[in-house]
Amino acid sequence: MSPMQWEPPSEPQDTLGQRLDAAARHLLPSFIALLAIIVLSAPLGLPGAAELLPPIMLGSVFFWSLWRPSDMPPLNVFFLGIFMDLIGFTPLGVSAFILLLVHGLASYTRFGLMRLNFLLVWGVFGLIGAAASVLQWALACLFRLHVLDPAPAFFEALLCIGIYPLLSAVSSWFLHILDGKPTS
Amino acid sequence: MLPVSIQVRQALGKLVLPALLLLSVGVMIAGQVEKRATEKARMAVAGALAPLWSMISQARAGVADVSNGIRQARHLSEENSRLEAENATLRRWYDVAVSLARENDALKTELHWVPEPSPSFVTGRVVADSGGIYARAVLLVAGMQSGIQTGNVALAANGLAGRVTEVGPHAARVLLITDISSRLPVMLESSHAPAIMAGDNSDTPRLLYYPQDTRPLEGERVVTGDQAGAFPAGIPVGTVHYTHPGTPVVQPFARLNQLTMLRVFDFRQAEIEPPEAPGHVPLSHPAHRPLALPFKTLLSPGQEG
Repeated sequence: MSPMQWEPPSEPQDTLGQRLDAAARHLLPSFIALLAIIVLSAPLGLPGAAELLPPIMLGSVFFWSLWRPSDMPPLNVFFLGIFMDLIGFTPLGVSAFILLLVHGLASYTRFGLMRLNFLLVWGVFGLIGAAASVLQWALACLFRLHVLDPAPAFFEALLCIGIYPLLSAVSSWFLHILDGKPTS
Repeated sequence: MLPVSIQVRQALGKLVLPALLLLSVGVMIAGQVEKRATEKARMAVAGALAPLWSMISQARAGVADVSNGIRQARHLSEENSRLEAENATLRRWYDVAVSLARENDALKTELHWVPEPSPSFVTGRVVADSGGIYARAVLLVAGMQSGIQTGNVALAANGLAGRVTEVGPHAARVLLITDISSRLPVMLESSHAPAIMAGDNSDTPRLLYYPQDTRPLEGERVVTGDQAGAFPAGIPVGTVHYTHPGTPVVQPFARLNQLTMLRVFDFRQAEIEPPEAPGHVPLSHPAHRPLALPFKTLLSPGQEG
């Protein structure tokens, strides 16, 4: 009878399916954002599809960076921004830069923001969206080397503020599904 | 995974965001410098996404088709119910018409009504007529052998077309009502006022000699009158239309430019002669007026000359 060999206590390893499932859950927000970019850039004839895209991207990046930064890592944000710039006709890198700034702001202030009321979060996002619109307008002016009409930037800021509750509701539903437990 | 300590990994994780921000600024500058490469990259991405976009727009077109079909189907049911209602109304009117026709028959039987002779007619194919003395005339492949006589009336499908002026053995020439030499006595249907319809080689003959106190109304129906005895009364001719104020013209019901068939009616109007009436001074035929003194006709026929 051979002596019992000591085996180190090992934690139960995840199976391949579980790991794939986790990876899919992590990638889902970025994938949905990617899909939103593709669908909204398609020639569908939807009214205001081109104007709707930047607010939707800002809102979803803000939401996921606030509630689940691990599902919206900076690298994904960067590639989403570059993809947006390549499909749209904004100067290359501008959207990536702005989205990364929003991501950074949201993820560094998330422990303060998560305790706040929804309305206050909405207000903070409104400020961030307005700042992002102004920054985009300023960068566009810088690259074109003359002052552009600020009306589209104003419109974009208003769209940011207007679309956030809807986006937040849909994303909260997704978060709920991903977690399998209720979220605030 | 590289064997790095947790502290180093956390520090690297904190560095990712600033590094990416710097990278995006670098991309901005590079994009401004290398515009051609940027355009190429944009085109490559758009080219890769084009099949996806076409799929999306095809799906959208399919959805639009389906919704269009549903809307049309709903419209179809509305149309169907409207037609059913109209059909019910028409059925009621059909019953009314049948009962009125029966009542009319019964009343005619009661009154010992003498039926009007139904006119005989022949139908012939129209051949274009470029020759002849008339500008607006057609040649009909039906002639004397078919019983056509000079002065017969030619009708198109829905209105008066003209009258027969010359008859050959196998062909007849029909003078259309638009010819410049065509003068027809007509009657305005709503006011019963007589007028003369004169052709002028245009598509719309003019109305002349209507009473000054009853002017033709726009859209009023014009039918033939029986003043000269050339036409039976009541054949539909056309409607009144004013091209200019004060110059009424008739728009014929018959499409005189595209005649293919004509029915030629023999109304035998000329044979209806009023019977001799002693004591009656005929006014309509001054040529037949006896040259003798009027009081002679007052005498009885037996005492005459």
